[in-house]
Amino acid sequence: MTTLLWLQTGSCGGDTMSLLCADSPSLEELVDEYSIEMLWQPSLSIEPTSRLDTLIEAIIADQQALDILCIEGSIITGPNGSGMYDPYRGRSKMSLVRELVEKAEYVVAMGTCSSYGGVHAAPPNPTDCLGLQFDKQSPGGLLPSEWRSRKGLPVINISGCPAHPNAMTKTLAMLASGLPIELDHINRPKAFFNTTVHQGCTRNEYHEYDVEDTEFGDKACMFFNLGCQGPVTMAICNTELWNGRSSKTRAGVPCFGCTSPEFPLTQDLFLTEKIGTIPVHLPLGVERANYMAYKSLAHDAAPDRVLNKTMDH
Amino acid sequence: MTRRTIQIDLNRVEGDLDFQLELEDNKVVDARCIGSLYRGFEQILLSRKPKDSLVITPRICGICGTAQLNAAVLALENIGHIPVPPAAIRIRNLCLMAETVQSDLRQSFMFFTADFCHSKYVDRPFYEKARTAFLPFKGWVHRGALEYSRQMVEIIALFGGQWPHSSYMLPGGVTTPASNRHIIDSLSILNKLTRWFEQAVIGTDLDSWLAIQSADEFFTWLTAKDAHADSAIGLFTLISRDIGLQDVGFGTPHMISYGAYDDPDDAGTFSPHRKHLFRSGFLNGDTGNIEPFEQAEITEHVRYSWFQPYSGGRHPFQGQTIPDYQPHSDRYTWCKAPRYQNKVVQTGPLADALIDGEPLIRSLYQAEGGNAWLRQFARLHRTARLLHKMREILHELAAQPNAPHMITPNEKEIPDGEGFGLVTAARGALGHWVQITDGVISRYQVVTPTAWNASPKDSEGRHGHWESSLLGLTVEDPDDPVEIGHIIRSHDPCLVCTVHLLDTGKPMTVWP
Repeated sequence: MTTLLWLQTGSCGGDTMSLLCADSPSLEELVDEYSIEMLWQPSLSIEPTSRLDTLIEAIIADQQALDILCIEGSIITGPNGSGMYDPYRGRSKMSLVRELVEKAEYVVAMGTCSSYGGVHAAPPNPTDCLGLQFDKQSPGGLLPSEWRSRKGLPVINISGCPAHPNAMTKTLAMLASGLPIELDHINRPKAFFNTTVHQGCTRNEYHEYDVEDTEFGDKACMFFNLGCQGPVTMAICNTELWNGRSSKTRAGVPCFGCTSPEFPLTQDLFLTEKIGTIPVHLPLGVERANYMAYKSLAHDAAPDRVLNKTMDH
Repeated sequence: MTRRTIQIDLNRVEGDLDFQLELEDNKVVDARCIGSLYRGFEQILLSRKPKDSLVITPRICGICGTAQLNAAVLALENIGHIPVPPAAIRIRNLCLMAETVQSDLRQSFMFFTADFCHSKYVDRPFYEKARTAFLPFKGWVHRGALEYSRQMVEIIALFGGQWPHSSYMLPGGVTTPASNRHIIDSLSILNKLTRWFEQAVIGTDLDSWLAIQSADEFFTWLTAKDAHADSAIGLFTLISRDIGLQDVGFGTPHMISYGAYDDPDDAGTFSPHRKHLFRSGFLNGDTGNIEPFEQAEITEHVRYSWFQPYSGGRHPFQGQTIPDYQPHSDRYTWCKAPRYQNKVVQTGPLADALIDGEPLIRSLYQAEGGNAWLRQFARLHRTARLLHKMREILHELAAQPNAPHMITPNEKEIPDGEGFGLVTAARGALGHWVQITDGVISRYQVVTPTAWNASPKDSEGRHGHWESSLLGLTVEDPDDPVEIGHIIRSHDPCLVCTVHLLDTGKPMTVWP
């Protein structure tokens, strides 16, 4: 039996809705096959909210074991550091979270909001939002960067806006079955954050031959002109499809980099910033001069079927 | 006379919800609906490029992001006088309907009917049947709703890439055409869901169900066969009526609907007046007449909200959203108080069906009024209509294989100006009002369905719809006011959906 408590802080509920979309494993499977006991999940628990009060008291008094604490939503610290833009029983959620994390074997940030601050922390950050252990990309959020949970791990960040359904349920399944979880430099499990969104995108052949769209609704690559951040964003969107079906880039929507701490960027989200004809932000680790040479060669090598955009995806 | 204040806090709503009720001899004499979370979306949008609203606003709400996206894109198209081709309208409608079906199934069978499993009802004859059907993760209806609501949004993923939170509706259309692969995939998803809906939810086929046109026909149908009475909608109806939900939770008699789903036959050229597949209107509760809806008649009050005060009400184009948190004053919520023609109104599937003239809902309304059971019933009835409509749309798309899905706007940027986008989300009337100055957003006001329904008192001290739906109610046991839970959930509360508000306050028990 693995006990799990899910709290929403400053959130839209989208990570919970995404969780309901998980299919491998599904939420039902976590309950049936991985023996995860949902002590509390705001959209699913049948018990009244007074049950949550009782649970919180018991957890804080060490009378109720808490294996996994999931936090969905930005940590709201405003106004004036009080956290009272997001209250709970006359106190701040912020202070409640601070108490609960000390009792949990593992703490998992579900979504970019609880990982790094997210959309609510976009300028002017009207409610003074933070992530649990990061403030955007800077280490240290509600908790200092050296903080560790009872099992010795920092907050595990399943970033994404919302977090990918199966990245959430697979992480929970790994924790429940005692599988090791290796984290990247911003504490995301490498199992889900060691591939770019670009990898597996069905527009890749267009990208390969430097055939770039200038208008939306077309078939080619969106990286050079339309703001797509797929080559600079780590996520499994194109290797484990959304809702078992597709991804934003496959459907002609640019990747907005929603798994990154900087999401959402302050610049125009549908336009690529460029130096000359080349994007400011190149695919991860690529040298500008090499990239320019490669791209001009690639375009020259493009077959007509790609140049004329006759290829579907 | 004994007077006491009770606090009620609900989970299984989108966001949490807090009510404070004043009871006199167990009768509700005052009600305050409290939205206690502030997120500040309207400020985050300021100074951003206009199209960024298509990325930011879906994140207002995890359960109705498609509707937010649609309202945002309509507002931009309204400003730029941008036409949209018919196929794009059909794809948008299909995705909006899929999201609404998802939300209605989850609301009905994961959030609402779970209350029938409460231990208070252990001695009632329906108790075992209720638990077998509705108990979370165990009941056959709950499990079916989990599985099929998950499948329904796959249709949105086919066209938008993912659900929740995509941005595939752009000024001039949508980003992906309806290929035959997508159409067949969508039909396959729809077929499976329709079979389940027929077998589990209505206990009959969709066409027979939609042929029921009057209250008498419906109540005859309900007990005509075991398959009807034992269907999810049969159980929900019989249990609701056993515990008296047809007699409570009326609220304001005034209703609005923005109209649902742009008419694709009216598309292709820009028009500020859009025709809809389901009609818009204002149902005047004093006269019973349905009057034309006019967005200029909307105002928002902040007298009892935690925003910098202004007097009276303001239209969203003059709207102002400056937080002013005053927890120890008589102001009590982050929700503003929207009014239509200076009247308290309600919105949602009941209002939509009545204003559209749907015969069965109208007949039930004439028989018993807009009670808690009917409000919930109207939501599920809509699911059947939408499943039918989605199939029509897919066939229309298939009939025009190379129809354009995007008319690229002449201007790359949205011009300066002001515009609005009005849509019908799962919970009712959703509107975005946008002003653009010097190429960036200079004002963004969102009025959500829940803002209408969860409204606090206005400048004239008049209660909002949810509040008034509880006034006068006699609570059997103030320490365990289970009837209030049913009434509040029948409104389909979405507390994240009010932009400014979410989350809970203080001790409260709906039951121990």
